[in-house]
Amino acid sequence: MKQTALIFFPAFDWAISPTHPEREERLLYTRDQIFEEGIMDLPQIREYKPRMASYKDIARVHFCVPDIDAQITEAHLVSAGSALVIADAVMTGEVANGFALVRPPGHHAMTVAHGNRGFCNINNEAIMVEYLRKQYGLQKIAIIDTDVHHGDGTQEIFWHDPDILFISFHQDGRTLYPGTGFVEELGGPLAHGTTINIPLPPRTTDVGIHYVLDNLVLPILDEFEPELVVNSAGQDNHYSDPLANMCFSAQGYAVLNSKLAPDIAVLEGGYSVETALPYVNMGIIMAMAGIDYSNLREPDYSPAQFQESPRNMEYIKQLVDTQLANFRGRAAVIKANRLKYPEDYTYYKKIFYDTDGIHEEQSTQLHMCESCAGYRIIKSTAQHRKLNRVLCISVPTYGCPSCQEKAQRIYTEKCKEARNFDYIYLQDRANDVYKCTDTAFSSQTVL
Amino acid sequence: MLIGIDVGGTFTDGVLFDGKAVTAVVKQPTNNLDLKNTLLQVLDELLAEVDNQAIHRIVLSTTLVTNMLATGNVEKTALLLLPGPGLPLDTYRLFDHTYFLKGSIDFKGRKTEAIDRKEIEQAVLQIDALDIRKIAVIGKFSNRNSELETEVRQIVLNMFPHMDVSIGSETAGQLNFLRRIVTTYYSVMTQSAWDSFIMEIENALQAREITAEVAVLKADGGTMPLNLSRNKPCETVFSGPAASTMGAVALVMKPRNTVVLDIGGTTSDISLLIEGHPLYASKGARIGGHYTHINAFSVCSLPLGGDSSIIINNDEIIVASSRQGSAACFGGDYPTVTDVFNHKYMLGIGQQSQSSAILCKLIAGTDLDIDNLCTRVEMIVLERLQAAIETMLREWENEPAYRVWEVVNGRKFDVQEIIGIGAASSAIVPHLAQRMQVEYTIPVHAAVANALGACVARPTLSLKVHIDTQSGYYVIDQEGKRGSIPAGKNMQMQDARVLAQQHLAEIAKVRGMDEYSGEAEFYLEEQFNVIRGWNTAGKIFDVGIQISPGFIKEYQGVSR
Repeated sequence: MKQTALIFFPAFDWAISPTHPEREERLLYTRDQIFEEGIMDLPQIREYKPRMASYKDIARVHFCVPDIDAQITEAHLVSAGSALVIADAVMTGEVANGFALVRPPGHHAMTVAHGNRGFCNINNEAIMVEYLRKQYGLQKIAIIDTDVHHGDGTQEIFWHDPDILFISFHQDGRTLYPGTGFVEELGGPLAHGTTINIPLPPRTTDVGIHYVLDNLVLPILDEFEPELVVNSAGQDNHYSDPLANMCFSAQGYAVLNSKLAPDIAVLEGGYSVETALPYVNMGIIMAMAGIDYSNLREPDYSPAQFQESPRNMEYIKQLVDTQLANFRGRAAVIKANRLKYPEDYTYYKKIFYDTDGIHEEQSTQLHMCESCAGYRIIKSTAQHRKLNRVLCISVPTYGCPSCQEKAQRIYTEKCKEARNFDYIYLQDRANDVYKCTDTAFSSQTVL
Repeated sequence: MLIGIDVGGTFTDGVLFDGKAVTAVVKQPTNNLDLKNTLLQVLDELLAEVDNQAIHRIVLSTTLVTNMLATGNVEKTALLLLPGPGLPLDTYRLFDHTYFLKGSIDFKGRKTEAIDRKEIEQAVLQIDALDIRKIAVIGKFSNRNSELETEVRQIVLNMFPHMDVSIGSETAGQLNFLRRIVTTYYSVMTQSAWDSFIMEIENALQAREITAEVAVLKADGGTMPLNLSRNKPCETVFSGPAASTMGAVALVMKPRNTVVLDIGGTTSDISLLIEGHPLYASKGARIGGHYTHINAFSVCSLPLGGDSSIIINNDEIIVASSRQGSAACFGGDYPTVTDVFNHKYMLGIGQQSQSSAILCKLIAGTDLDIDNLCTRVEMIVLERLQAAIETMLREWENEPAYRVWEVVNGRKFDVQEIIGIGAASSAIVPHLAQRMQVEYTIPVHAAVANALGACVARPTLSLKVHIDTQSGYYVIDQEGKRGSIPAGKNMQMQDARVLAQQHLAEIAKVRGMDEYSGEAEFYLEEQFNVIRGWNTAGKIFDVGIQISPGFIKEYQGVSR
């Protein structure tokens, strides 16, 4: 029997601020529960030590403005690094699967990072996914975001990537941060249908979420055939979470993880530190390790407590049908998009960093490449400390030689011009080279 | 004068130490069927050298409890467990006569389910019908609130006053229900036998008119007064390796990163000193395949020693993990590891010519020559030892970390020195050190380092206080102590430290070790703001303080 890898990294010496939900106390009672149960002494579990992610691991995903040091603390490196340790343990076959029970979280962090959004600076899962591709040559990976908040960061990072299936179910964005994750958000023109959102009404219960799992998530996974499945495991769908309004239970989470059978789970949000986290975390560990969890329950839980309303079930069923059709019809849409946008595809957006109060304006120009996911040029402006105008050029991991060459040329040209931008970045994932030019000093750093 | 006696599995070692020099040494085969007499024989031999009145301290290290647990020669004990919600009950069904009861406590020490008196009474009737008189009651999170355990104990005693009931919170107050079950169970079942052993020793000493302070060595390398060890028999397990490690520290006393290698006849025990301090097993002593709450040194035992025999099988040279007798140079009939080193390096151990002769006999009829044989055996032995050492170092470096600074600063164990103790170390350790390119020391008295380590070891004491100002209480993980904190009290880390220190001093006084209270050090300081809504509702502190392993004040090293 192969074991389940576990990294428990509560970061007992790190907080956003003393009273912030993302504070030292967050995993204290989880520590008490898992240590008292003695689950780490069981032969099914193998505990690993965290390590720090490298700057290159981060640069593979993010454009940190002005640089990586400005956007992270050591805790972020350890949290992201823990996911990489689990990835290594799973990929080398040392374990069957693994859970990075770590903080700080990451799923709201987007490609360009000007500050902290939704308690996140850098995206742990995305960093792990790009590491898995670089280190182990994986191509198709599925990320199932089970946090109550829409995983808008992860969605944005893989928006143009048809090889990364991103499915997020969450409390409807009209009622909860970050206010996105609607049915219509299906991915970029060349990656349509591999972003799937399932906005659920407040007070959705175990029954509703399991219906989505059985009838949408699992069938899509079957058809997509990913090489690896990641659970972006938020725990704030729990009925006691103070920041959200859902009615999921610890049993519900355990069953979800049994059915989903992720290769890797990475903790995201969840701020009911006393009444949910100790039990939900136990549930996830037990489910992944194949330990019977029928004796697991919150002290105040009674099965009859939450009933799914027929009206809600009706809505969920329709939602499932719509999204299944969207997923299955993706090839035709992509084909049509190629005709519609033969050269480039450009769009604009504004991004708000709630934690740090930063407003970013951004435009993205995607090269509609015939043979790869296409390079992207992102222009972004945001005021933090000073006005930062940045140009970011990104080559996909499996970018074609032509896209690599074009992106490199644009970077060189723009650096020569050195006008209009304070920083110019090249993220050449195909060659694993990451460059940044500070135009004021004409200085370049290379990772 | 001090006496140290280590009753080991094969030999019992004793030393007489006058504070500066070892004045007498005794080594005798252990009679495992009568440990007490082996011990007293060694004691009497030492006493022959000195006036009984001059002895002021005797420290014993014995395998009694380890042997009892290994052979199952223990009292039948029933377990009443209150597991509450969580892992499946089967996880906790480690032993026969386990009964699961209702009633649960959560991590904050809140009662989340009451006990069921009827259910308890039924279980106890069954236990009584089985003629079991010993009961261990253990609840999940009983270390945070022992109310349910105490209630169950009372119910049992009301029914059967003659039953002997122990509760987990008083035996093992650290977090980890599984280890609390194991520790309490093993303690209960060995207690009577340990108690009689103590009485016999006390009587024997009285008969010899010895009034010295008598202590036993614990697995954590510290001592405990013999008469106060009644309730803690399990703390004496693995005191043998602890004695050896303490002996190595005592003989070398250098604050370096050191590997202590105790190479005996059949096994090699490896332990690590970090800047001179012995490393603990992170999960506690492991007994019968189960982790416990007993603090023990981290020791790796290899089935490889000076008497391990050398076999040639189809031209393949094998160093066997078994012992067939003593080395040929000491009159044995089989070639051993010691013979190989003796011949190769002309060490002059025993009759060196007999080592050479038996090795020649071994290669007769094979294509091997004696130099090849010795080189190959040396390589096998050194490779095995080095691999085991390196595994231990990596395991220590890769132990889980829960704080950012621990991961950022990392851990690296650069071996500065190997200390070789045990009979076979002088032949092997120099070559291992050369291979690993580190310094080595084979101290004088290396063969009885264990007994010396026992006799100069000081008492140890370690406790952790968990303070929850929101809930208004604190608990100590030793002896089930707890107390209340006035509601609304604003505590700082300094207050938490003082509380821990006070309790340490109190327990130290009871254990007759006040003189070491001042040397206690904090090993854990954690503080959490309890935030409810956006307001501070209280604080939680975890503070650990310990009098760590060391030496009695009069010990200043060994002059000869």
